[in-house]
Amino acid sequence: MSVVYCHIFRRLISYNPYRKKSTTMPLKRVFFWQPNAGSTVNSQILNEVSQCVESINGVKEGRWKATLTFYKPMLRDQALSAEFPREFIGISLPEQPNKYYFVLRFNKIVLESDSSIQLIMEKLQSYKSRVALNFEGFQYQLGDFQLRVGKVVPSHSENLRGIVMEVEYLPISSLEKSKQIMEEFFDIWQDAISKRSLPGRFIHIEPDFSDYGLADHYTSQHTAVQYTHVTSQLIASVQAVQTGRN
Amino acid sequence: MLQQHQHHHLQSAITAAPPPSATTSTPPSSTTGEAPPKQVALAMDRLGQAARLIADIRLGADRLLEALFVASQPHQSSKPLHLFRQEDESMRQHLQDLRTVGKQLEESGVLNESLRSRSNSWGLHMPLVCPDGAVVAYAWKRQLAGQAGASAVDRTRLALKAFTDQKRRFFPHLDDEEDGEGTDTVSKKHRNLPALAEDNQDNLSDCKTLSDVLTNLEKEIPNLKVSTYERLDWLKRASSLPASANDNTMEAPKHNFHSTSILRPAPQNVASMDKVAVIELFFPSIFRAVVSLHPAGSTDPDSVAFFSPDEGGSYMHSRGSSVYHVFRQITEHATVALQYFLGIRSKTALYSLLHWICSYQTLFTKVCNKCGRLLAMDRQSALILPPVHRPYRTLSVSKQSSSQSISSTLDQGSNAPEAYHIGCFSDNM
Repeated sequence: MSVVYCHIFRRLISYNPYRKKSTTMPLKRVFFWQPNAGSTVNSQILNEVSQCVESINGVKEGRWKATLTFYKPMLRDQALSAEFPREFIGISLPEQPNKYYFVLRFNKIVLESDSSIQLIMEKLQSYKSRVALNFEGFQYQLGDFQLRVGKVVPSHSENLRGIVMEVEYLPISSLEKSKQIMEEFFDIWQDAISKRSLPGRFIHIEPDFSDYGLADHYTSQHTAVQYTHVTSQLIASVQAVQTGRN
Repeated sequence: MLQQHQHHHLQSAITAAPPPSATTSTPPSSTTGEAPPKQVALAMDRLGQAARLIADIRLGADRLLEALFVASQPHQSSKPLHLFRQEDESMRQHLQDLRTVGKQLEESGVLNESLRSRSNSWGLHMPLVCPDGAVVAYAWKRQLAGQAGASAVDRTRLALKAFTDQKRRFFPHLDDEEDGEGTDTVSKKHRNLPALAEDNQDNLSDCKTLSDVLTNLEKEIPNLKVSTYERLDWLKRASSLPASANDNTMEAPKHNFHSTSILRPAPQNVASMDKVAVIELFFPSIFRAVVSLHPAGSTDPDSVAFFSPDEGGSYMHSRGSSVYHVFRQITEHATVALQYFLGIRSKTALYSLLHWICSYQTLFTKVCNKCGRLLAMDRQSALILPPVHRPYRTLSVSKQSSSQSISSTLDQGSNAPEAYHIGCFSDNM
């Protein structure tokens, strides 16, 4: 049943695998903050991270904001809910104001659609937003690198749930060719931030993009997949802290 | 409100000067009989006078207003009246003087462009007063200063300094040859280099035509896509870039050097080689380099520039500049290298240049030979960059068999070209 629904949904968004792929973007890695065992994330850490970026000559440019929403289907018969995709996520990204991205994490599907799809969903009353998160913060320029540091807060709340960092290398868009550059940049970053003795570290776990049918050339769909994975890791770490407390 | 009144007053004063009428078609002989530099000097003087007069008039207007204000206060003596009369007289005198100066300036052609049409200008244009009041006088000021002030020795010294600065910047290799204080080892090394270059040039004597060079290049370096264009065609292509990188395999590039022999009959290929003015070297996902040839169809490169593989736009040409720092730095380094190739190895300049460009295919993977890292913070520009320098003096371009081609010896091989960060690179490499 869920497979059928996926197909219907795909047609709704006119997804055509033979259509020209979305435009390539400079490649990007999304990191999330993993607090050490026994400590939590707080805004002091966020300040320290921002200062660290500026200490390696980052120039503050402006604000950025991305959103991530967990949807649940509106069903009359709740028993059918097991047949629907387990995690259905919608993401909006600041670099693509006219697009909205859908990720089905367990089905390994990512879709790019027009941002008007949100209005359509609302009118159809097909899916409802269960949880929505905002990623927002400041953007910094470091020569050919662009960094974004942001806090993770539930929408309609100021509770800091996590910290994310995006590292983007602008000149090229090939994941394979840029691997070394990104790793070395992270080494430089680690050198700088370890001096501040913060209780935690940034982690990046590269999702398997080929599972989602994505190619070596980086696109915003890759970013959407990264955010999905980062969110699930954040949730897992928050839950781990809570169970640790109980 | 008051300011406007003053300006209006001044403007009407200047325009009140009657224009030179037709009857006085010959201006006073004192102005035309003089050489243009003298005319220019006089014009500058008069402009200065006019400016001083205008300042005096402004001050006078202020004083008049002050006197009026004081007079409007109750219980005043006749002092304000006296002041008023005094100012009135001096204002009238200033305005009269201004009219005179204005007339003189108009006759000399400063306030309009009439002097340009007169033949007696010797190419020195008179200073021009722009509608916004600015005086365009810089060129003759220098001329006047040169004739009046600086001596021949001073001017020669300045010229020599400017020249050596430029030479040091764009032709660093020439400096070494003239440096008589170099140590023995340094001078020996440089004596050997021209010999080495000569050897290589002999080996490559059969690579004389453009198509030979390009064919040879394509054989040796597999990842490379070489394309050639006429100058205008390149502009069209640059504006249409970036063609969606994912569609490269589906597109049949019309100007691809390699495929023309397949897609078109041979005679057409040969004819178009004569007009080739732009060579594009494309390493997918790494960089795109644009080399311009002058004259078209020859093997003489005259400029080179590097760009991101995803960049596009009409600014992408051999004298253009990438929007990304890394490619801008490489372009600057490449310009110096090009001068070296043209100067020391002029017969094989194009071949050497193209091979040297191809050494950048390891830009994002090869670590610096000096510090062993890929990224480093460059102190001067405060940017984090990969090693953007590749040495060009010791580049050996003797023909290699396909088993020894540059790309097969990976980054760690001893045959691989070296790479350095800006800060790790020293000039004698």
